[in-house]
Amino acid sequence: MNPDPATDLDLDKLFAARLYAARVRPYLATALFALHTVASRQVPTMAVDRHWRCYVSPGFVDRMPVEDLAGVWVHEVSHLLRDHHGRSDRLARERGLTGPGERLRMNIAADMEINDDAYGEGLVTPEGAVQPKTLGLPAGNLMEDYLRWFRLGPRTQALAWLDCGSGADGLDRGWELGPDGAHGLSEQQRDAVRFRVAQGITGRPGSAPSGWRRWAEEAFHPPQPWRELLGAAVRSAVSAPGAGEDYSYGRPSRRSAGLPGVVLPSLRRRPPRVCVVIDTSGSVSDAELGSALLEVAAISRAVGGRRDLVTVVPCDAAARVAQPLCRAEGIELLGGGGTDLRTGFAKALRTRPDAVVVLTDGQTPWPERRPPCRTVVGLFPRRYETGMYAEDDPDYVPDTPPDWARVVEIGSAPVSR
Amino acid sequence: MPTRTLYAATDTPAHPTQLDVAGDLLTLLRDTTTEPRPDNQLEALTLAVAADLPVLLWGEPGIGKTAALTQLAAALDLPLTTVIASVHEPSDFSGLPVVGDDPAEQGVPMAPPDWAVRLVRAGRGLLFLDELSTAPPAVQAALLRLVLERRIGALRLPPGVRIVAAANPRSSAADGWELSPPLANRFVHLQWTHDHEVVVRGLGGTWPRATLPRLDPEKLPGAVDYARRAVCGLLTGRPKLVHQLPSSETRRGGAWPSPRSWEMALSLIAFATAAGSSREVLSLLARGTVGDGPGLELLAAVDRMDLPDPETFLADPSAGELPERGDLRQAVLDGVVAAVRNRPDRARWDAAWALLVRALETGAPDLVVVPATTLASLRRENWDVPESIEQLAGVVALSQRADRAAATVKGGR
Repeated sequence: MNPDPATDLDLDKLFAARLYAARVRPYLATALFALHTVASRQVPTMAVDRHWRCYVSPGFVDRMPVEDLAGVWVHEVSHLLRDHHGRSDRLARERGLTGPGERLRMNIAADMEINDDAYGEGLVTPEGAVQPKTLGLPAGNLMEDYLRWFRLGPRTQALAWLDCGSGADGLDRGWELGPDGAHGLSEQQRDAVRFRVAQGITGRPGSAPSGWRRWAEEAFHPPQPWRELLGAAVRSAVSAPGAGEDYSYGRPSRRSAGLPGVVLPSLRRRPPRVCVVIDTSGSVSDAELGSALLEVAAISRAVGGRRDLVTVVPCDAAARVAQPLCRAEGIELLGGGGTDLRTGFAKALRTRPDAVVVLTDGQTPWPERRPPCRTVVGLFPRRYETGMYAEDDPDYVPDTPPDWARVVEIGSAPVSR
Repeated sequence: MPTRTLYAATDTPAHPTQLDVAGDLLTLLRDTTTEPRPDNQLEALTLAVAADLPVLLWGEPGIGKTAALTQLAAALDLPLTTVIASVHEPSDFSGLPVVGDDPAEQGVPMAPPDWAVRLVRAGRGLLFLDELSTAPPAVQAALLRLVLERRIGALRLPPGVRIVAAANPRSSAADGWELSPPLANRFVHLQWTHDHEVVVRGLGGTWPRATLPRLDPEKLPGAVDYARRAVCGLLTGRPKLVHQLPSSETRRGGAWPSPRSWEMALSLIAFATAAGSSREVLSLLARGTVGDGPGLELLAAVDRMDLPDPETFLADPSAGELPERGDLRQAVLDGVVAAVRNRPDRARWDAAWALLVRALETGAPDLVVVPATTLASLRRENWDVPESIEQLAGVVALSQRADRAAATVKGGR
């Protein structure tokens, strides 16, 4: 095809760039081909809307060499795959960010999330692509983080023309065709394309860089915030039968008066006893412990109501004194050497708890048998590098938490798509 | 006191009382209009209720789950019975024991509550179990017997009664109840969310009125066939998807795939097809029945099924529609080339070239490059290059241009 007479858009050049982009990033080919191109003179460069239409300025295509255009293709499709429009809308709602200035900031933050690992390996960085280091920010972060770290100012002055369309920041532009225009993808079709790309990446993990692999793992299973997970686990452990509020035959129901000869159970409240075993060995930091402990204390208080029913056992190689919890800040955490949580469990079970919550980094032996109460393990993730914890035995690998405990990983990133 | 002056009876009877004025104001406030607006979640709920599967609505308190149920009951012409689980005792669902003259001889019958008796007498109805997650665990246990076995005390609910339950997600539930995997597997989970625009417009006086899906009697046999092909086609190729217990903490309490939930998914696809529902509705239903990942794979399989068959193109390259969307078109062209590779033969090879030329004339040229290269490599020695290949010169030029770009990048610009 020759230049489109109506718009002077050099389609051959544009499609050659797309072909090249699909060759160097084969795992994005499906998404690249799903884009519908629209020639538009009102777009400064190239832009996408949330319906997977790509608006292209003819002048921009003439100006840029093919290899740079390929980088722009990958950049624009990344906005859509990473759901930047949906995330921008959510951010605008959550943080109350309104106005065009904020949307420009979101666009810049989204660009930085893409650009810090999109180029290289066959793709050149297009001219004028904003990098985190342009603004003095660390690379490898998410749009949500970047957005906190910079304001519009002299340093972003050069970026004021930046416009990747509503696909990047969620703000509808006047020159976009909108939801009713031709060749738009419906929400389900968009999900299907994203899903196919994610499946392609997880199916052949060798070919994609780690950033895209992480995206593929999390695109359809976003990690939930650990606070919610830990809360749900602790709540369901302490409100299980036998504890909390439940029907009991311990005292007959008041309705029994109307039914002579029948014993009906009544609703009784038995506040749960919770015992928190804390790994105070040197490998867990105070800040991590503090946040997790506060959370457990707050949940137990909300469920049980009585603070004296929450006890805390600090434990390293030996268990220390079990302390009743009065204020979260009043706990002395003793210890600092190696870890053996088995002694901690033994100590905790002596208080006859309904639930045991263990906060640890997992580098410990576990009890061989299931304890007679429910167990929740809050696990601080560690990168297992060789030689980090094995002073005497290089083959030592820490046991994974046992099956009978519910395990919640603490400190994993709450927002990343 | 201000309240006394506000509602004090006035001396002149002709003058309306304050309560009447307040009544007028309330009438004005309630005077709202409706407008038709498609509502995917309500459509999905209607289809699941029509398919006689237990539905569990997950949603934050106060976003209109109950209102949706009222609308659904009116549309299906079913009497609605709402039971708020959290104010009941377990014996209200398992039955109250009634001691007769000789319990050892006759046993103790469990008497059902009055709403259950009325439901059974009516023979049809919509039973809505609200606030499932705020009820004590013992009540939930008794309720689940009602949902799964459809029994209340000694009564059995007739098949004409449809059951819908509602629960708050565990983050907003007071006691963090969640379903165990066997129970979660028996429900169709629908996430109920509110649409900001709808709420604003509704408060402004115009509430949406959803048009509910209607099953088309003529489409029924085709729908069953379609649903069976979709599910079987997917599961033949992906045996691992048949049964997958949820493993991680994040996926607890949600839908997961098992033979039972695949059967539910199959009947939901059939219902959605017979009603001519959109893909969005099907997506909600499939993901709510077998979970997000398998649900999306199922939809991808349905999408693939809708692509034209490569053999029809090879029989007549000018017949049939080539999809407009680039990724689908590329999938079709790849499929055609793969079909030629599987059964190479001169006529099929020529037909594939003709189709590639047609694709080039009607769409983006870069999609044709990979299929054309593969097709060229399938050539046998005695096969002549067809004349139409001249028209593919543009593709070659495009490919060379991309090659040049690669060389530029490699050479460090």
